[in-house]
Amino acid sequence: MAKEQNEVRDLDEGSYVMMDETPCKITSYSTAKPGKHGSAKARIEGKGVFDSKKRSLSQPVDAKVWVPIIERKQGQVVNVEDDEIQVMDLDTYETFVMVSPDDVNLSPDDDIEFLEYEGQRKIV
Amino acid sequence: MAGFPGAHAERSDADYVVVGAPLDRSTTYQPGTRFGPRRIRAVAESFEDYDHHTDSRFTALDVHDHGDVHPGGDVEEYLTFLEGVVGDADRDGAVPLLLGGEHTVTVAAVRALEPDVFVCLDAHLDLREEFGGDPYSHSTVTRHALSVAEEAVILGARAGSKREWERTAAADVTVVPPEEVPDWDPAFDREVYLSVDIDAADPGFAPGTGTLEPFGLDPATMERVVRTVAPQAVGADVVEVNDQDDDQAAVLGAKLARSVVFAHADARTYR
Repeated sequence: MAKEQNEVRDLDEGSYVMMDETPCKITSYSTAKPGKHGSAKARIEGKGVFDSKKRSLSQPVDAKVWVPIIERKQGQVVNVEDDEIQVMDLDTYETFVMVSPDDVNLSPDDDIEFLEYEGQRKIV
Repeated sequence: MAGFPGAHAERSDADYVVVGAPLDRSTTYQPGTRFGPRRIRAVAESFEDYDHHTDSRFTALDVHDHGDVHPGGDVEEYLTFLEGVVGDADRDGAVPLLLGGEHTVTVAAVRALEPDVFVCLDAHLDLREEFGGDPYSHSTVTRHALSVAEEAVILGARAGSKREWERTAAADVTVVPPEEVPDWDPAFDREVYLSVDIDAADPGFAPGTGTLEPFGLDPATMERVVRTVAPQAVGADVVEVNDQDDDQAAVLGAKLARSVVFAHADARTYR
């Protein structure tokens, strides 16, 4: 199970939510009421965990939303070649290749932490 | 709730998005701004669709009414919500038009739109840092705007505390007193946010507002300012209208709100 259902009211800044079928980290959570007798509405702004695109969502606080279950894992750099790095997952010993982020300089044997969701990975 | 008369465009096609923001919390004298958006929409029913200044029809200008966004308990959270709603309209290429609500709602729009210049029709300087311990009092709006915009121009201001008047000596604030507003020439070539606090008008013209201040502007002068500034506006509002009169404030506010749309659309057509 890579995602679970939650109510909008249970979300908060810093937690994850699916927006446009993409896992996003919530950067802003605020509420207002739509009108007479309407339940409060929450407005969520977030950033794609893997694509960094901004997205927003406005829903009643009792609406259901999908929350992605993003794993935080340990890995070890096996090889670095140009902007690609080969990483070994230290739980499963699986190795995979990912694009190195611009702002980090990695060498073989470096330990890293990464987020994983349905085959998408990102170094943190 | 009936939408703003003539605002029939779908959200996805809209060039202008009306958002009601009936915040009514920090008004210091006469409350009722929670009814402002409702009164403005109601009185606008009687207006002609056609505007002879611009030879255009309101119904042809793709205006959408988002409806009212009501405050919950926390003002800061509400402003963040409103900022998001206004920001969405802006990102979709539409000009947001807020109907207040007390003047505090302007803070959300200015934060969303990040204009270069904040132009405000207002009887008051609104340069306080807080009022009664409240940093989001309606009397702090221009100070909040200045944390986003490079400068503020306050047209028709005639009231403020000693400290507020002292603050106007800085280069980023221009105060145009009521008697000089008719001759004011903006000459902007930057992005402007236009805020219309209805109390800029003399209370004889718009008694339905929270903090009445005599020796104010006449409606024609306000309309001239609005039509002059609107072409540069990335967003605008009409605020501080309440229900404590026979709709004089609401009818003036509604007319000015429509003037923003007509003048902005006209400039866009010929640009």
